[in-house]
Amino acid sequence: MQKLKFVLNGKCVEVEVEGCARLIDVIRENLGLTGTKEGCGIGECGACTVIIDGDAVDSCLYPALRAQGKNVTTIEGLAKDGRLSALQQAVLDHHALQCGFCTPGFIMSATALLNKNPKPSREEIKNAIAGNLCRCTGYEQMIEAVLDASGQTEIDNDSA
Amino acid sequence: MVDEKDYLVANNLNEAKVLMHEHCGNIHVLAGGTDLMVALREGKRSGRDTTYLLDISNIQELKAIERKKVTISDEDCNTNEDYIRIGAMVTFDEAAHSGLLLKTAGALCEAAKSVGAQQIRNVATIGGNVCNAAVAADSLSALTILDAKVVLEDLRGERVLSIGEFITGPGKTAINEDELLTEIRFKPLEDYYSAFVKLGRRKALAISRMNVAAALAFEDEKITEARISPGCVFATPRRVQSAEKILIGESPSEELFMEAGEEVSKEMVRITGRRWSTDYKYPALSAVTFKALAIAYNQAKSDT
Repeated sequence: MQKLKFVLNGKCVEVEVEGCARLIDVIRENLGLTGTKEGCGIGECGACTVIIDGDAVDSCLYPALRAQGKNVTTIEGLAKDGRLSALQQAVLDHHALQCGFCTPGFIMSATALLNKNPKPSREEIKNAIAGNLCRCTGYEQMIEAVLDASGQTEIDNDSA
Repeated sequence: MVDEKDYLVANNLNEAKVLMHEHCGNIHVLAGGTDLMVALREGKRSGRDTTYLLDISNIQELKAIERKKVTISDEDCNTNEDYIRIGAMVTFDEAAHSGLLLKTAGALCEAAKSVGAQQIRNVATIGGNVCNAAVAADSLSALTILDAKVVLEDLRGERVLSIGEFITGPGKTAINEDELLTEIRFKPLEDYYSAFVKLGRRKALAISRMNVAAALAFEDEKITEARISPGCVFATPRRVQSAEKILIGESPSEELFMEAGEEVSKEMVRITGRRWSTDYKYPALSAVTFKALAIAYNQAKSDT
């Protein structure tokens, strides 16, 4: 077992983990935050997406000990003082989910995009969430939610 | 299931070389980890039997993309060659957006953009892609048209191999147990226009079924240089010189590009023989080659 210290959703956490532990298991099992989902476990579906030092990554492929000293944000870290983030609210407003399993991962991918690029084009949104599989929505409402969260309407943006 | 591992982190290149030497044969390098983490869980491949994992993602020396003069000692004379050097731990996202690579290795940027999804490109590295030596590795055909070389280092020193020498078979390389692949270098293709076209089962996250990297240089409306390398087609990456010869000295045209594409397919059959899939692959490879050549030529046209 090796010591791992990192910042999770703004708070410093310390856990003992095995050498080849995956970040997703540490987040869900050791730290009890089950918002991050495991779908495929091989980096295809994006349900486990978290943000590490600003970048969206699949936490099922990320060695836990590589998070040493880094800043990790999960879906639980987005709402502030009980208020949803603009994107979380837009996801509800646009009915951009049905079963909800892919939603945390999709929101983390899109949040990473919006942090780097506050006014993304439709193409840029599609590219940023291409690694998040959704079997319910057909993606259209998800794209609309991201556009809305970035303060853009369909008309502002390049059309499909 | 995964056996217990000892996770080591190297903070600079020398530390990494010392650890590789100390635990030679019992240590596995962890680059981006996007392949290795899956393999470890499935109990596959070499990582399974080693006690140590070596995380090299903190080594700053391995993260740069830069132009560098490299001194080549050749008998009595030393010549300085201009090289582009890509550190082994440069991620696909960094490669896809590098201004220097966009100028000097456009096909490599296109290949980098086509890898996996954003979450994968944020961590997966060029060095890891080359060391895994998968037949479908997206970077290999693009690196092959650059005539890229890999630099391998251990405590004793370094050696430089071409991609062709380094990759000895599907998933097999010439790397020694205590060596690290530290950089990939190539002479900038400044006067070339290059393209990378990938055929996958879908647009996002697809493993290449087939891909082609191509580069063309022109003078007075004639093709002066041509480089073509198909991916996923041969056991090890190579250029198709017989197709390149068809292009050199000629004026670019659709017919010419089709002829070169057909020649690439013929070469595939010559090297790998006829298989059940050949009826599908033959026209597909010609068409993907044609497309890559056409894109490279269109760049040249829009540039003048």
